[in-house]
Amino acid sequence: MNPVMEKNQSKKISPRIQWLRDYYFSGNKRKWNNEYTVWSTGTPWDLQYHEFTYYIVPEAYLMFDVMRGGYAQAARTIPVEKDFFNQSISQRRAAFVKEVMVNHLPQEILPGDLIAGGRFNVLTSMCLTQKEQADYNKRILGKSGVRAKVKWFHDHGYGNAGATSGHLLPGHGQVLKLGWKGIHQQITEQLVSLGNGSPAGPKAAQLRAMLTASTMARDLAEKYSRVCIRLMESETNGTREKELKQMAQNLTRVPWEPADDFWEAVQALWINHMLVMSDENYPGPGVSLGRMDQYLLPYWEKSKADGMDREFAKEILKCFWIHCNTAYDATIRCGNQGITAGYGQLITLSGMGADKKDLTNELTYMILEVIDELSPILEPKPNVRLHRGAPEKLYDLCIDMISTSQGAPFLLNFDERSMAGMLLQGQKGEIPGLINENNVHDYAPVGCLENTMVGNDRSGTVDNNLNILKAVERVLTRGKDLIPYTDPMTGKKEKITQEGPDTGDPASFTCFDQFMDAFKIQMAFIVQQCADLYELSESLRNDYFATPYLSCLVKGCMESGRDVTQGGAQISFTTLEAVTYATTVDSLLAVKHLVYDTKTCAIAQLTAALKNNWKGHEILQAQAKNRAPKYGRDDDAADSLARQVMEIFCNETWKHKTRSTNRQFRPGMLSWNYWAGDGHVMAASADGREQGQFLSNAICPSNGADINGPTANSNSVGKVLGGKLAQDTGDFKAFVNDLPNGASHTITFNPSLLKDPDHRNKFKAFLKGYNENGGTALQINMLDPDMLMDAQKNPGDHRHLLVRITGYNAYFTSIGKELQDEVIKRISHGQF
Amino acid sequence: MGSFNMTDSPMKPSARGMVLEIQRMSTEDGPGLRTTVFLKGCPLACDWCHNPESISPKPQLVWQGTGCIGCGICIETCENNALSLTPGGVVINRDLCQGCGHCADQCPSLSITLLGVTWTAQDLVKELAKDRAYFQSSRGGVTLSGGEATLQHEFSLEVLKGLQAQGIHTALDTCGMTAISILEKLLGHTDLLLFDIKEMDETRHKSFTGASNAIILENLMQLPGLLKKHPTELWIRTPIIPGATDRDDNIRSMGSFIALHLKDTVCRWELCAFNTLGKDKYTRLGKTWAHETTLPMEKRRMDNLVETALESGLDRAIVVHTGATRPISP
Repeated sequence: MNPVMEKNQSKKISPRIQWLRDYYFSGNKRKWNNEYTVWSTGTPWDLQYHEFTYYIVPEAYLMFDVMRGGYAQAARTIPVEKDFFNQSISQRRAAFVKEVMVNHLPQEILPGDLIAGGRFNVLTSMCLTQKEQADYNKRILGKSGVRAKVKWFHDHGYGNAGATSGHLLPGHGQVLKLGWKGIHQQITEQLVSLGNGSPAGPKAAQLRAMLTASTMARDLAEKYSRVCIRLMESETNGTREKELKQMAQNLTRVPWEPADDFWEAVQALWINHMLVMSDENYPGPGVSLGRMDQYLLPYWEKSKADGMDREFAKEILKCFWIHCNTAYDATIRCGNQGITAGYGQLITLSGMGADKKDLTNELTYMILEVIDELSPILEPKPNVRLHRGAPEKLYDLCIDMISTSQGAPFLLNFDERSMAGMLLQGQKGEIPGLINENNVHDYAPVGCLENTMVGNDRSGTVDNNLNILKAVERVLTRGKDLIPYTDPMTGKKEKITQEGPDTGDPASFTCFDQFMDAFKIQMAFIVQQCADLYELSESLRNDYFATPYLSCLVKGCMESGRDVTQGGAQISFTTLEAVTYATTVDSLLAVKHLVYDTKTCAIAQLTAALKNNWKGHEILQAQAKNRAPKYGRDDDAADSLARQVMEIFCNETWKHKTRSTNRQFRPGMLSWNYWAGDGHVMAASADGREQGQFLSNAICPSNGADINGPTANSNSVGKVLGGKLAQDTGDFKAFVNDLPNGASHTITFNPSLLKDPDHRNKFKAFLKGYNENGGTALQINMLDPDMLMDAQKNPGDHRHLLVRITGYNAYFTSIGKELQDEVIKRISHGQF
Repeated sequence: MGSFNMTDSPMKPSARGMVLEIQRMSTEDGPGLRTTVFLKGCPLACDWCHNPESISPKPQLVWQGTGCIGCGICIETCENNALSLTPGGVVINRDLCQGCGHCADQCPSLSITLLGVTWTAQDLVKELAKDRAYFQSSRGGVTLSGGEATLQHEFSLEVLKGLQAQGIHTALDTCGMTAISILEKLLGHTDLLLFDIKEMDETRHKSFTGASNAIILENLMQLPGLLKKHPTELWIRTPIIPGATDRDDNIRSMGSFIALHLKDTVCRWELCAFNTLGKDKYTRLGKTWAHETTLPMEKRRMDNLVETALESGLDRAIVVHTGATRPISP
């Protein structure tokens, strides 16, 4: 058993859930799992692994050929009809995926489970003709193929871009209300509106594909209903027999019919959700669930009135929770339950409603209890939306959970700042009808924390990840790489070539403003490069990969007759995530400080130092690290340069649209794990960082730079997003936020801050202050002994760690080993 | 007015002040989230002090090895030959060091720093107001601490005034060793007074802190009158130091004193357990610490001392102990 779990044994949990959870954590030893199965049309050219969805995962680049070949070998063939290949790709995929899910993948129900819907991780044929597949391969492979270009972009330190699955909020609330029957009806009407008989053309073909997909959930539910009946017949326990009977009955109605009660709604939601993952052949990252406590509430109220026990409702939810975690089974043979990274089937709780009304309800609390009692289950990830009007009880409960979370991530979203960003997207993207003051409160985050609207929005929230630090490097080098790329296998160095514009010899710049002018030009160019790279996989997906089932759940696709992969969503954006923001800002601050303000060195000397990874320039490096100002300290001068960088990045981002799918780029800041990995790829930077050291993460200050504590750190973040208007209107209109997507912000706290009710109140004051001054979302981590031990070894990365023990305060790294050990001991034992 | 004369203070009254440190998101110096300003200079020199760098009113040079790259720039910079590089790091000859800070200005790694920065009251208020959003919902605000904030009373007054003008809650942390007129002046702009009582026995007080407790106790007796004139909440704080102030008789007699003179005035009495983590701060100042090997208080002992304090008849709700303790005697 997972050692973390043992600490949670005291939590309230029924034998049923205990068994399901233990079974889940037995991982590889499980008899049943949800490992990928692969399905082919049987053509010799068939391919199942569509690598473009993993172009944003540099670790996968070297595995692509293995995956393509390996999965193809493992594929089982399902023969297709003669005229199969005469249909549109979307129609083929709709039919093939449905065939796999309904007629080939086994349907099983685990003992005691209250929710049906087991296996869903599949890799299904791309369903292409020989000619199509050849064109696809031609565009992907070879020296000038997308794959090589993506790899080049990464290897040279720019980042990555690729058309990625998931990362959106299907219209779950709507489907529960209408049932698939209602969706089916709407598609039929759309099709009829195209003309009598059998209309031709791509729009009609797409609608037919969606029509096929819209009965997949119904047919699968019917299969599961039969499984329930079969199990019921051999069941000896009366209670379980009744449960199975009810499940069978539920499944004959939902998800086809509108859900009538809570059990039906959760059952329908699960099948609808899991089939998105099947349809996309993508086990979950960022396939988010949205404001679950809102759209499930009417069903809970109905069931409550009918006499459903509150604990039983939670039991249903807990089964749903366990199901979400089986997404990780896709690669279960890798060990650790297949968990390679958090998938982010994000749920959103509470938040502001229309007229600033708080929407916390009974279900909000029930779901929080479920999360708490099931801890340390990873999925679905909770995100609580806080705002000025959030109730004290909700704050208190969140803080209690943070204090007992044992380091489990707990994400908070801040409504006013987030909504200001979404409104900006409405204006900039010229869709005021779709995002405006009257509906912006309906937003919810997907994946990690990326804000989108619900049920009509695909904003490609992880698709473009650009290391904007590259723009500083290019000013120093006049548009080239600073260091040559070395092939790790052959050790051969590539020749450095002119990649971007020559912005002139920086030695000739007479002031820092000229440096910034050149930076702007280089930024414009790398943003353009990133958008161009994205276009290659975006157009590929547009041509060859449809997800008709998902398209049924995203408003706009039906109306436009375009798949969601073809830009069919009403709100169809793609997000450019700036990576290395603080490293970029700090590098610019260092250039300003060292070269122009204090004239410590000439720019050529700085460039030479960076080229040599600071070797032989240790004094200059120490000056860059320690004497140059840094972002994240609530230092107005430094933060104003940071704000300037934000504006330059955002302005350039808004200039782009995809050509094949007409999706507008929008700015965000999320760095997934790139800030660690790309630290090895990128050359040394002017902020004193050596090649190999981490870059900064999302909107966070550089590692260890926030020496003035969490409030100063948060104030800096709020300022660079745009701060607030001088006139506080009392609502989100007073807030400015240049990043509609939002920005990832993590702060580590000393656990002594949560040691008693008095201190928890102080922490609450911090969160309320963050709502006013901080960013869009906050990930709270607690200082733990491991981190302190790391700080002993790498003091430079942890200069900000403040140890506060009743009146005494000192930076952890400034005290001797003996005392550091003492502090670690205290934190390990909860003595502050 | 007591016999303590402000002209003895090495600080000249001025609207500029010598600040040791600004501590944001402070949770231990009054209610709510606070920003605590540690001012430099203290009339007492308690031998257990865990912030020894706050005692001297003058800027003090310290070297800490963590980031030092051994470049020797500090040694070249010093005109007084006060610095030397040894195998153990940079050594400061405190007889020669004039505290000019030129070396600190040049140190690439900030390993040599001059503790103590001059602020104008106006700039400091602006800096302190940056966290008002975090103060608001928790009755938080700013605490002036030290050292001893009353030593720089003109500066402190300006800062407190400036903060109150912006609606920010103010707390003043004092050791009580000050002229009552100064205290009165500051109380006019203070929302919360944190008053330390360390030791009731005068001889011991003198030996622990270097000064008699007569003025402190006299000031305490005058507090009820002053607080009536300038309504201010009062918290008493007592450091519980093993082998020094942690005696039952000390706490008992302190309890009686508080019950007799401050019963209707005091809102909270904190017994603050000794903090063992000061050693490196002494080393950096070139000093040795009398309490280097002293162990933390036992939790049970702190509980007992609270009971002793309560023998005075004070309300149980107001007496608490704070700080790190050890569970059981090793």
